[in-house]
Amino acid sequence: MKRELWNQDWFGPFAVTVLAIVIVGALKPSFLSPFNIQILLLAISVNALVAFSQMVIIAIGQMNLSVGAIGGLAAISFAGMMEVWGLPWPVAAVLSLGIGLLAGLTNGLLCAYTGISAFVITLATLSVFKGFNLGITEAQPFYDVPEMVKWLGNATVLGPIPWLVLPFAVSAVALWYLLFRLPLGRSVLAVGGNTHAAELSGISVPRIVVFAHSVSGLLAAMAGIMLVARLQLGQPSIGDDWLILSFAAPIIGGAVLTGGRVSVGGTCCGVAIVAIITQVLVLFNIDPFLVQVVLGGLILWAVGVNRIREVRGQRKAAAAGI
Amino acid sequence: MIDIKKIATAGAVVAGLTMAANTAMADSSTRVALVPGGPHPYFAAWEQAGKDAAKDFGLGSADYKVPQKWELSLQNQMLESLVTQGYNAFLVFPGDPVGTVAIADELAATGAPVMALAGCLKDPSQAVFCMGTDTGNSAYLGTKELLKVLPKGAKIAHFTGFLVDPNTQLRIDAVEKAAKEGGAEVIQVIADIDAPEPAEEKINAYLAAHAGEVDGLITTAWVPAVVASNALRKIGDKRIKMVGIDHDEVVLGAIKDGFVHGTMLQNPYGQGYLGSYAADRLRSGCTVKKDAPFKSIALTDKFIDSGTVFAGADAVDNYVGSMQKITKDIFADFEGKYLNCG
Amino acid sequence: MSGIEIDSAAVPEAAPKQGRQLGPLQRFMLSNEFGLIVLIVVFAVVFWTVSPMFLSKFSLYALGRTSAVNIMIGFSMMVVIVTGGLNLAVGAIGVCAAMACGWLMQAAGMNWVFATLGGLAVGGLLGAVNGVVIVRSGLHSFVITLATMSIMFGMMIFLTQAESYREISPVFTGFGRMKLWGVVPPMLLMTIVVGVLLWVLFTFGSLGRQILAAGANPAAAELSGINVGNMVIWCHALSGMLAGIAGFMLVSRTGAAIPSMAGQLGQDWLLPAFLAPVLGGTLLTGGRVSVLGTLLGGFLVTMLTGGLLLMQVGAFWIQTYLGLLLLLAVLLDLARRSYLARNKLV
Repeated sequence: MKRELWNQDWFGPFAVTVLAIVIVGALKPSFLSPFNIQILLLAISVNALVAFSQMVIIAIGQMNLSVGAIGGLAAISFAGMMEVWGLPWPVAAVLSLGIGLLAGLTNGLLCAYTGISAFVITLATLSVFKGFNLGITEAQPFYDVPEMVKWLGNATVLGPIPWLVLPFAVSAVALWYLLFRLPLGRSVLAVGGNTHAAELSGISVPRIVVFAHSVSGLLAAMAGIMLVARLQLGQPSIGDDWLILSFAAPIIGGAVLTGGRVSVGGTCCGVAIVAIITQVLVLFNIDPFLVQVVLGGLILWAVGVNRIREVRGQRKAAAAGI
Repeated sequence: MIDIKKIATAGAVVAGLTMAANTAMADSSTRVALVPGGPHPYFAAWEQAGKDAAKDFGLGSADYKVPQKWELSLQNQMLESLVTQGYNAFLVFPGDPVGTVAIADELAATGAPVMALAGCLKDPSQAVFCMGTDTGNSAYLGTKELLKVLPKGAKIAHFTGFLVDPNTQLRIDAVEKAAKEGGAEVIQVIADIDAPEPAEEKINAYLAAHAGEVDGLITTAWVPAVVASNALRKIGDKRIKMVGIDHDEVVLGAIKDGFVHGTMLQNPYGQGYLGSYAADRLRSGCTVKKDAPFKSIALTDKFIDSGTVFAGADAVDNYVGSMQKITKDIFADFEGKYLNCG
Repeated sequence: MSGIEIDSAAVPEAAPKQGRQLGPLQRFMLSNEFGLIVLIVVFAVVFWTVSPMFLSKFSLYALGRTSAVNIMIGFSMMVVIVTGGLNLAVGAIGVCAAMACGWLMQAAGMNWVFATLGGLAVGGLLGAVNGVVIVRSGLHSFVITLATMSIMFGMMIFLTQAESYREISPVFTGFGRMKLWGVVPPMLLMTIVVGVLLWVLFTFGSLGRQILAAGANPAAAELSGINVGNMVIWCHALSGMLAGIAGFMLVSRTGAAIPSMAGQLGQDWLLPAFLAPVLGGTLLTGGRVSVLGTLLGGFLVTMLTGGLLLMQVGAFWIQTYLGLLLLLAVLLDLARRSYLARNKLV
C-alpha cells in the first residue's frame, strides 16, 4: 500500500526545511550564496552521519550513548595513525572505520547476550572509549594531517557541493535501501516494533541487535573521520557534543523512541533544520546571551509546525472515516 | 629491574638532598597536586613543570592530576580524593571563579597551601594568591594589538568561550572597551563555541555571510582560535586580520604564514614551575608578605602575572625562550618580593 | 528491553511449580536493590584493601556529600521516567531554581526560608511548564525538554548575565559544611528523607499509584478514569522541585549560586540523572519505580568514581577504568541473579 506523499514520515520535516530556507533566504540573501551553501552542506554531511548512527539504534528501540565516544576515538585514531605511524590516509581511514565497527560490535554483543539495557551498556562503554581517547592523546590534538585529507575536507566536487557530501549521500542511500528494501532491514524495524513478535516470527533478535550496533559504530567512526578532514586536526574533544544532536535530528525527523519507526529522509531534514537554525543564530547577529533562548524557541517552532500538520491530517482522516 | 629502581630512588634522594641544601630548608614531604579544570592542551606543560620543580627543589612530588571532564563536581571530587591521598599543596585552575572558592577554602582548612593557577578565584577566598593570566587584560591587550594594524573605524568580530564561565563576560567587556578606545566597533560576538563542532559551524557560517564586512577577528578561547586560523587560511583572505590566543600549532603556523596577525601567549610552564616552588616554600615555614606587591585585577587583589605577551610573526619561533625568560625573572626575586621566610 | 526485568518476571512463574510462594527474604535476595547493596559492599571492600584511606572519615564524608547530590538528581529524573517520558531539562531547571534562590537572598534580601521556597516554586513551575507543553502538544517529552532546556538555561544566562550570587545565608553555607558525628553530611540525610517521602508517595499515596498506572499503560489508565495528562504535569512539576533541591544542595556546597554548576545547558547532570534510576531498576518505558534502587544506584556510581580517583590509576585512563568497573558491576549482578535462579529457585 502506497501512502500519500504528505503522509510520509519525512514530508513534515521536509516542508519545515523548505519553509525555513525560503524565510531565511528572503530575509538574508547571503544565506543562499554558494559559499554559504557549501558551509551548510558540510555541516549537514557530518551531522547527518552522527544522526544516522543513532537512528539505527533508535530503530531497534534502544539508545546508544557512546556514539560521540566512538566517533572521537575513530577521529583520533585516524589522525594518530597518520601522524605517529605515518600510514597513508586511506589505510588509516579503513583501520579507523574498523575500530568504529569493533566498538559498535562490542556494544552489540554486550547488549544482545547479557540482556542488560543498552542504556547502561553504552553508558559504560562511552566511558571506556572516551578513556581510551584521553589515554592515547592526553588531551593533546594530533596535528600532522596530510594535505590530501585537508583538501578533501575543504574542496568541492561541483559548484558548492563539497567532497564530504559523498560519504553522506552514499550512506543515506545505503541505509534507506537496507532498512526499507532488504529483508535484513525489515528485521531491524521488526525487532524495534515488537521484539517478542519478531522473535516468534523466527528473527534472531540478538543477531539483529549486534548488526545494528555495528552499523552504528561504523557510521559514528565515519563522522569522526570526516570531522578530522574538516577541522584539519585530530582534536580529542571531537564527539563530546554529539549526544543531543544525535537524538534530536532523528526525532525531529519523525523517529519514534520506542523503536520500529525511523525515516532516513526525515532524519536528513532534521539535521538540515538544526544546521539552518545554527546558521540563523549567526546570520542575524543574535545577542550571545539570547542565543540559547532563540535556539530552543526555533526547535519548538520546527517540531510544532510539523505537529500541527499531523494533527490536522489525523482529524481529516477521522472525519473521512466517519 | 628492582635494582635500577633502587638506584634511581637513591639518586633522586641524593639529588633532593643536595638541592635541599642549596635552597635552604626545602621540605621533601611536600606533595603538590596540579589540578586543571579538565582535559585541555593548555595545561599539558604543567606536567613537565611539576616534574622539573620537584627535581630542582627536592619536593616529595608535584603531580599533574587531570579531572576527566570539565565538570565542577568532578574537579571537586578529585580534589577531595587528593586530600585523602595525602597531597598537601594544591595548585588549582578554578573550574569556576566563584564555584571553586568553597572547595579551595576547605583544602586550605586542612592546612595545605592553595593557589589559583592560570585563572583566578574571586575574592574573598583562602587561596594564597593567584598566579596566571588576567583574562580580561589579555583580551584587552590582544584587541589593542589587532587595532594597531586596522584602519580607524574598523569592524571586528569576537569569538569566545562558554558564557557560563564568568571569564567570558570579562573578555567580552574588555574587547568592547579596547575597541571603543581605539575607535573601532565590535559588530558581533559569538560565544559558547569552545568545542570543535560548534566552532567549525558557526565561525565558517559567519565568514561565509560577513567576510566582506568585517576587518578583524579577535578570538579569546583555544578552539575558536584554532578553527578561525584554519578558516582564514582556507579563504586565503589576508585582508581580515586576526589575533588569537594561546600556542596551538595551528595558530602558530598560521601566524608564520601570514594568515593570522599574532596571538596572546600565556605561560603555563612558568605557572606550574613557580607554583610548585612557592607551595613548597610556604610549607616550609614561609608566609606571604603583608605588603607583597600583588596586582589587582577584576577577580582578585592577590594576583601575580605569570606573563602574557603578544607574539607576532617575528616572535612566534622563540616564544618558548621568551616565556622561560619571564619565568626566570619572576623566579629570581620571587621570595624577596612575596614571601617572608623567617 | 532489559534482561533484568525478564528475570524478575520469570520468578513468579517459577515459584508455583514448586508449590510454594516466595518468602519476602527470597524475593528481596533476587531484587535489584539487594544486588546493588552486594555490589556496594564488594567494591567498598576492594577499594579499602587497595587503599585503606578509602574508609577514612574525610573520604567517607566527601563521598556522602557528593552522592547526596547525585542521588537527588537521580530522583528528579526518576519521577519523570515513571511516566514513560524523560526530562533533559533537569540540569537547566536545577540551575534556574538555585539562581532564583540566590537572587532572592542577595538582591531581594529575603530570609533563607522564603528564598528556598521561592526557588522551589520556580523549579516546580518550570517543571510544570514542561509538563503542560508536553501534554498539550502531544509531542514526545524528549523534544520538548530539549527545547526548554535551551530556553530556560538561556533565560537564566540572559537575566543573570552569568553573574554569581555570593551573599548566601550562612544557614545555607553552614549546612553544606556541617558534619554530624564527624562523618555524616546532613545533605545525605536530607536526600534520604526526600527518598522516604517519595517511597511513601509511590507505595501508599493514591496519587503515586495513579502515576504508576498512567506510566505503565496510559490508555488503560485513561479508561479507568485517571487523568493521564494531569499525572504527567504533576510528575514534571515534582521533577522540577527535586532538581531545585539538588541545585540548593550545590549552592550550600559551593557557598554561592553559580550559573556553571551544572555545566553548559545543565548537561553535566544528565548522566547521573539517568544512571542512578536505570541502575536502580526503574524502567525507561515507565510504570515501575524503585526509590531505594535509585538511591543505591546513585551511591554506587559516586563510590566507583571516588574509589578510582583514590587508586591513582594513570591520570588519563580513569574514565576507561570507570567504564570497565561499571560493566563489571552490571555483569556481576547478572551472574548473581542467574546463580540464584538456578540453584535455589528452579
